Amino acid sequence: MIEISNLFKQHGQQPLFNGLNLELEKGSVVAVIGPSGSGKSTLLRCINGLEYFQKGCISVDGQKLYGVNEQSYNKADEDCTVKKIRRRIGMVFQQFNLFPHMTVLNNITEAPVCVMGISRAEAEAVAISLLQKVHLEEKAQSYPAQLSGGEQQRVAIARALAMKPEAMLFDEPTSSLDPEMIEEVLLVVKDLVSEGMTTMIATHEMGFARDVSTHVIFLEKGNIVERGSPKKIFSNPKNKRTKMFLSRFMK
Amino acid sequence: MKHMNRKHFIIRTVSILQICFFMMYFFMTDTFAYQDTLEKIKSSGVLTWGFDADGGAPYVFHDPKHPSKLIGFEVDIVEAIARELGVKVQNFQNEWDSILLSLQRGDFDIALNGIEITSDREQSVLFTRPYFVYAEQIVVRDSDNRIHRLDDLHGKKVGTLYNTVAKRMLEEMGDVAVSTYSGQVEPFKDLSLNRIDAVLVDLPIAFYYAAPNPQLRMVGEPVGEGYYGIAVRKEETALAEELNIIIEKILRSGELKKIYERWGVWNTSQEKLFLHEGLLQKYTESPPSISEKVPLRVTTFLPTLLKGALVTVGISILSMMLAVVLGLILAIMRLYGNKWLQRVSTAYIEFYRGTPLLIQLYILYYGLPNIGITLSAFIAAILGLGMNYAAYESEIYRAGIQAIPKGQTEAALSLCMSGRLILRRIILPQAFRIAIPPMTNDFIALFKDSSLVSVIAMVELTKSYSMLAAASMNFFQLGIITALLYFGMSYPLSIYARRLERKLKSYD
Repeated sequence: MIEISNLFKQHGQQPLFNGLNLELEKGSVVAVIGPSGSGKSTLLRCINGLEYFQKGCISVDGQKLYGVNEQSYNKADEDCTVKKIRRRIGMVFQQFNLFPHMTVLNNITEAPVCVMGISRAEAEAVAISLLQKVHLEEKAQSYPAQLSGGEQQRVAIARALAMKPEAMLFDEPTSSLDPEMIEEVLLVVKDLVSEGMTTMIATHEMGFARDVSTHVIFLEKGNIVERGSPKKIFSNPKNKRTKMFLSRFMK
Repeated sequence: MKHMNRKHFIIRTVSILQICFFMMYFFMTDTFAYQDTLEKIKSSGVLTWGFDADGGAPYVFHDPKHPSKLIGFEVDIVEAIARELGVKVQNFQNEWDSILLSLQRGDFDIALNGIEITSDREQSVLFTRPYFVYAEQIVVRDSDNRIHRLDDLHGKKVGTLYNTVAKRMLEEMGDVAVSTYSGQVEPFKDLSLNRIDAVLVDLPIAFYYAAPNPQLRMVGEPVGEGYYGIAVRKEETALAEELNIIIEKILRSGELKKIYERWGVWNTSQEKLFLHEGLLQKYTESPPSISEKVPLRVTTFLPTLLKGALVTVGISILSMMLAVVLGLILAIMRLYGNKWLQRVSTAYIEFYRGTPLLIQLYILYYGLPNIGITLSAFIAAILGLGMNYAAYESEIYRAGIQAIPKGQTEAALSLCMSGRLILRRIILPQAFRIAIPPMTNDFIALFKDSSLVSVIAMVELTKSYSMLAAASMNFFQLGIITALLYFGMSYPLSIYARRLERKLKSYD
């Protein structure tokens, strides 16, 4: 479903990706692990067009995003493609990024009403069912600031789901949460995965990555150092760096 | 919480009272600055003369060829007086509106500047015998044949000067739309621009400004004769006596006539100056067309002040609306526009912030007609204030917009929202909340700055006050009342803004 080929990206003079390749099949769950600054977030953000890249191509169900230095790059086409991709892929951020001036309900209905143009009543019905799914139906009329971090992140997930995405990108969804709230968010993600949602998740939760993912990639300095099934990576890592990284986490 | 508020209120009330007492003390002590002015003048060899050169020709004005030099028929009279007294003249420039007040304060010895002898002024100062017989003259556009005499002014728009007999004559006619000006040039300018139908001013002014202008014409006989006198402080009878003797002398010797002839203001009416002093006195006790002294009662001044307040509110609200809309456009141009839109917006902001509002108003109202754009005073006032404050508003909005975290935009983008939608639904509502305190601040500042539009013939609260105060010589009580009116209007605004802020903050 998602195909990343020969991705080159640099931040200013600092090169990050050097011809990265990655493929996600429909229904697969890819956990992206690696140290901070290894490019996990950037990789996810490239996929739904929040970051540009210099060379290569990202294809989502045939919709192709090109690097700005590619021959095929065209600003207008790119903007159009980005929109199509964003309609298919939902994203959840480390900092939740809920809209603070809207109630939980309006956070969820905003895009369906304003972008997809569905009626408010219908959008609200969908929103309520999504809130039930993340166990927050009683918070519909609250404002984000009245919610805990874990609750906010669950609302953010519901908000992304309201657009009926075919795939979800989770950018370190539990990294700004207090430890006791991590579980409630991961449970929601687990539910989604069990329903067959194509998922890509950048995370530091190794236990979660091991239990939930179908594939794991270990990223370091923009390079995929090792990739494979969770069983292979977590019980028998080949690469020295992977071993070192995991040994620190899997105590 | 409630207790704290009450405490604050008490502290505030006490400090306002302190300021009031201080002001009263200040006013009272200065009134008794000198004991005998005539003695002081003779011993120091200096006669201090109060006037307003902004009032203009041919009374006292700056020589266009040598701008540092003052000329005018009154300059010549004062020089003659000083010569007779054997002293030198020291000039004291003073706003005409408050010239008698400054005289009372002791800023100068005599006020001689086209001051009409009226019975209400005689309540506060002492006048010498008249030195000039004035009359009011109607001036119209040369092409206009509708107006021939005073009665023809009914239902017309007529320009005149602040605190003059002409203004009161027009007001007493009832149905004349009076435009009042502080400078002498502006009414004639507005007359040639068709903004008004006629000008009614003292004859010397009409003579000096209208006669040489081929577009304008004086019509009808001068009306509403009266006298200019030299004003001294009420207790200075010795000085007044001395001045009366000198006026008599230069009148009899023909020197005064020569001065008037040189400035083109001599006419046969001036013969009345030779009348016996007693006859003159009788004449001035009931001056023609001048209503009796206006007692300071709430019913007389409050309607005028409230009318002024209404104009102030109207101008403030309309210009703030313009400032908000234009400011938002400028901010969006600067933040999201292409290179050229950004430059236009930046240039606009720098220009309007970097030049005085007063100059902008002058350009809008008196400058634009030169390139064929003639705005009414009301429109010019709103445009002037609104366009000026738009520059400040736009910077407030820009700061507010930039304060919204990038994650908000990214989240909205990931939900497939368009840039315009994000701005409207996500960024601006949040930026607006941040902008409320500085916007309130600006609105209150604009509210007070609206007093500047009096320079383009708008009579708003401050101008109503200064006119009433100059007429009644009551700067203190009227000033306190006017200040309270301003405060009474701006304070609810502060409260409303605070409430709005709290309401929008409820989601934090």
